[in-house]
Amino acid sequence: MSKKVFAAVLMVALALSVAFVPAVAQDEVRWVGADDLPVSPLECPEGAPGAAMAEEPMEEPEVAALEYNGGQPVGAPDLAGQEIVLVDVPKLIGIGYFNATSLGMQQAAEELGNVKVTTDGPTQGDIVQQVAFIEQYITQGVNGILFAANDPVGISPVLRRALESGIHVVGYDANSEPDAREWFVNQAEFNGIAKAKIDSMVAEIGPEGSFAIVTSSFTAPNQSRWISEMWAYAQKCYPDLKWLETVESAEDQNLAFQQTQTLLNKYGPDMDGVFGMSSVAFPGAADAVAQAGLCSPDDAAADVAAPDEESAVAIVGLSTPNQMRPFVENGCVESVVLWNPVDLGYAAVYVMRAVVDGKLTPESTEVEAGRLGTLQVVNGSEILLGPPFVYTQDNIADFDF
Amino acid sequence: MAVTERPSQLTEPSNPIVSRLRAVVLSKEGILFLIMIAAMFILSLLTDKFLTTNNLLNQLRLVTEIGLMALPMTFIIITGGIDLSVGSIFGLSAIVMGFLWQDSGWPLELAIIMCMVVGTMAGFMNGLFIVRVGVPPLIMTLATLALYRGMALGVSEARSARGFPDWFFDLGQRQFLGIPSQLWILLIAAIIAGIVLARTPFGRGIYAMGNNELGARFSGIPVRLYKLAIYTFSGFMAGLAGYIFTSRISTTRADMGTGLELDVIAAVVLGGTSINGGSGSIVGTMIGLVLIQLLKNGLLLGGVKGDATIVIIGAILILAILINNLVQRRAGGD
Amino acid sequence: MTATTVSAARQSTPGWLKNLRMLVSGQEGALTLSLALLVIVVGTANPRFLAQQNISDILLNSSYIAVAAIGMSAVIISGNIDISVGAMIGVLATISGQLSIVPGMPVWISWLVPLIVGPMIGAVTGFLVAYLRIPAIVVSLGMMSILKGGLILATGGVWIYNMPPAYKLAQQSFLGLPVPVYFMLVLTILAALWMRYSPSGRAIYAVGGNKEAALLSGISPRVVLMRVFMFNGLMVGISSVLFATQFSSIQSTVPSGLELTIITSAVVGGVSILGGTGTVIGATLATILLRAIGNGMIFINVSAYWLQAVQGTLILVTVLIDLLRRRRQAAQIRG
Repeated sequence: MSKKVFAAVLMVALALSVAFVPAVAQDEVRWVGADDLPVSPLECPEGAPGAAMAEEPMEEPEVAALEYNGGQPVGAPDLAGQEIVLVDVPKLIGIGYFNATSLGMQQAAEELGNVKVTTDGPTQGDIVQQVAFIEQYITQGVNGILFAANDPVGISPVLRRALESGIHVVGYDANSEPDAREWFVNQAEFNGIAKAKIDSMVAEIGPEGSFAIVTSSFTAPNQSRWISEMWAYAQKCYPDLKWLETVESAEDQNLAFQQTQTLLNKYGPDMDGVFGMSSVAFPGAADAVAQAGLCSPDDAAADVAAPDEESAVAIVGLSTPNQMRPFVENGCVESVVLWNPVDLGYAAVYVMRAVVDGKLTPESTEVEAGRLGTLQVVNGSEILLGPPFVYTQDNIADFDF
Repeated sequence: MAVTERPSQLTEPSNPIVSRLRAVVLSKEGILFLIMIAAMFILSLLTDKFLTTNNLLNQLRLVTEIGLMALPMTFIIITGGIDLSVGSIFGLSAIVMGFLWQDSGWPLELAIIMCMVVGTMAGFMNGLFIVRVGVPPLIMTLATLALYRGMALGVSEARSARGFPDWFFDLGQRQFLGIPSQLWILLIAAIIAGIVLARTPFGRGIYAMGNNELGARFSGIPVRLYKLAIYTFSGFMAGLAGYIFTSRISTTRADMGTGLELDVIAAVVLGGTSINGGSGSIVGTMIGLVLIQLLKNGLLLGGVKGDATIVIIGAILILAILINNLVQRRAGGD
Repeated sequence: MTATTVSAARQSTPGWLKNLRMLVSGQEGALTLSLALLVIVVGTANPRFLAQQNISDILLNSSYIAVAAIGMSAVIISGNIDISVGAMIGVLATISGQLSIVPGMPVWISWLVPLIVGPMIGAVTGFLVAYLRIPAIVVSLGMMSILKGGLILATGGVWIYNMPPAYKLAQQSFLGLPVPVYFMLVLTILAALWMRYSPSGRAIYAVGGNKEAALLSGISPRVVLMRVFMFNGLMVGISSVLFATQFSSIQSTVPSGLELTIITSAVVGGVSILGGTGTVIGATLATILLRAIGNGMIFINVSAYWLQAVQGTLILVTVLIDLLRRRRQAAQIRG
């Protein structure tokens, strides 16, 4: 008998706890996934509601004035001009994006002739496994490590250990703490991406539209930083944009599809746009919109188009060309914003070579990077890749990655 | 692999020492140990970077957390149960520690203690439902796998805890007496767990429960109390591992340790603990743990890439159990 | 909810109530009741939840998981487990997608091949479990590693696109419902009939419940186990086709954590993990229930951060309801 009472009490307690949780309303005002790091929204474009409100010209952010804040390897051998062996440890292997960066690295290695680079890493974007991989390559004794961090703080101790062992360290795609690596090749600043995304969304749904976000997971550092920058930028430039809700999709295309369907059903015509925040969430979300027949009737093929412009749902996101090709070709997605990951990997190897050859020193303000020309040093110890690239119906056929 | 022939060389037991030796070598742990030695030998031929003290110690540092959780898991699997929630308890207790310190302003020392308290409580909850309500362990811990992970996400609102003071990293990133600090904890814990399992009435009770729970109950073993104890112990160790992990990685997030339970279980079952209960040992678990990590490490140092490595490890997991099964069956004469 | 059923059980009851009690006393009944409760609560809070499109989406999104959960149920009823199903779905979906973009390849071949390769993988697992007596958890852990790593080795995770329109089976509709829903319904019914009424189906329960007894009654546990794992492979094959044909572009990768979703569905569906009891109907209902929970929580604005915790709690509550039900039944039989 007591067992039954005990079980009943437990169940009531559990059920009550469930009943109370919904009272915790979604609080989008404070987007906290990005660790409350400071945001720096860029200037509003001409004609945006926020642009009028902004007082006097904003002061230029003083990024260029920053001192070099990277780390330096201890007792690294002088290998200027000699053959070097590099390892590239991306967030994870086996996805299109890092295949593309890896391809760029191979191209650079081939051009340079005196660089050997292999890509290896965990099969899941997991910081624990990534640390183990780097640890092993320090033991193996490479000349340089290229990395894209799963977690900026978590990866830093092992990178510092690499520097202490005289191994050069250059990051790309996702940074560590500055002193844990020498340089970081920055494909695009968080606030730049945020601006590009919000601007493309506003171009499709107008400055008073409403949208939801399908992200990979709330704990994904890059996605969270983008969202918090988007929030800040939207607050500043488009205060009337309606930010409905953010949902997770766990790097699972099918889950992204399902979550987007749920949002479409929940908000119906009250939702004008969806952001797909990861390379997996974006196609999943686009498929949900296309299969619901809600693509913008202006450009889309008849079988996926919405009956009228009012009910159409815009999809905006960052992604690689191959996975979004079907949606760009049928007009469901107007444009895909992304830097060229092949160039990113390519630049990373050139930066590493310049560091080893002593051509890129803490005093440098720019670096030569083969076919990409001269790249600028920003933020103390970062190399800026250049403006993001926009894939559209016209040029998407030229890219295959 | 190559090891299978070795035991057959010792087939004529004539005197007690030889037969004793034969029993040790032919035990599950003995076979596994031989496999490990053979693997290490082959791997050391592939690269000279593998068999160095520094490398081996460093590798053990990486598996300390899994090892700590594998100890109670051995007890649990011997009783015929399982705990799938360890990875989530690990994540929850680490995040509670981080946020008590970072957000609620608790002293870090107290937060570290709370880390283990939270882990213990989470494990106790599992145990309580399993013994009092009778929820099968797999179902209970499958549910709390989702629940505890969800709580970690909710508590932290997906933020990370970071910026710990320097002394916090002593345990995870530095050495004590020439050996990575956390390895001492694993070593001591493994010895204690090994003795408790092999040499105490409690340990014998665990085996008895795995072989025949009803029989164990009738012979006066406090089955429920023992079960409650091992699941609570499992939670405590997951909490401890969460602390060590945070100290090693220097930050934590709600999703840390996702899927860790499979690594823990793999080490235990590779170590010869029967998933159906009744047999297994701490020594075996430790060999299983080390074998997996050395394979990963040695293959990588030998130039095999990560994707191929997990294929090989998958195959070896199956093969090692297969070899052991065959040897045991022949030795057991059935 | 439990309180009412418990008190209903106490009173001397009129005939119609007895029938009702019979109906809800099974795990299927408990799940249906939970589902109904959820629909009422969420539907009251937000009527849009009840829109035809949303219900249809919930069913669609349950389908591929439910089909895999049918196979998983059989495996669990036979006293085993298969952790490699998520990796299998990834591999088979990739094979299917890759075949579909080979020029000149008839579409039905890319649908059929996973249905052949799936049972082949299942046969390997089954052989290792049944004949070499390696525990299923070990075999499937190993198999998961092999398939996952092998897929990356073979494809590097490339995106597959430009599948022919005819390939997209899961995007077709029939009588207002998406095609995968019919797969789910028909396969559930067929599997339920097979496992309940045919000797080869009953044998699975016998093997899971008591191997020695099964052996004595002339059933070969090895053959049954082989059959179970091949059946599981077939279900996973069908599931992977439903998975692959849902999208315009698919990544050749393993969806993480999918095996956990499938196992959870089977287990919440009342398939006892100790083997020997349970039905596939329960598993399918549980899949729909879990999906409806995931969907409904968004409709009633549960804080996104707490969503996972709420789902975990609801799983626990469902399991507890089932447990109390079984205990009451056992008490009734005794007394």
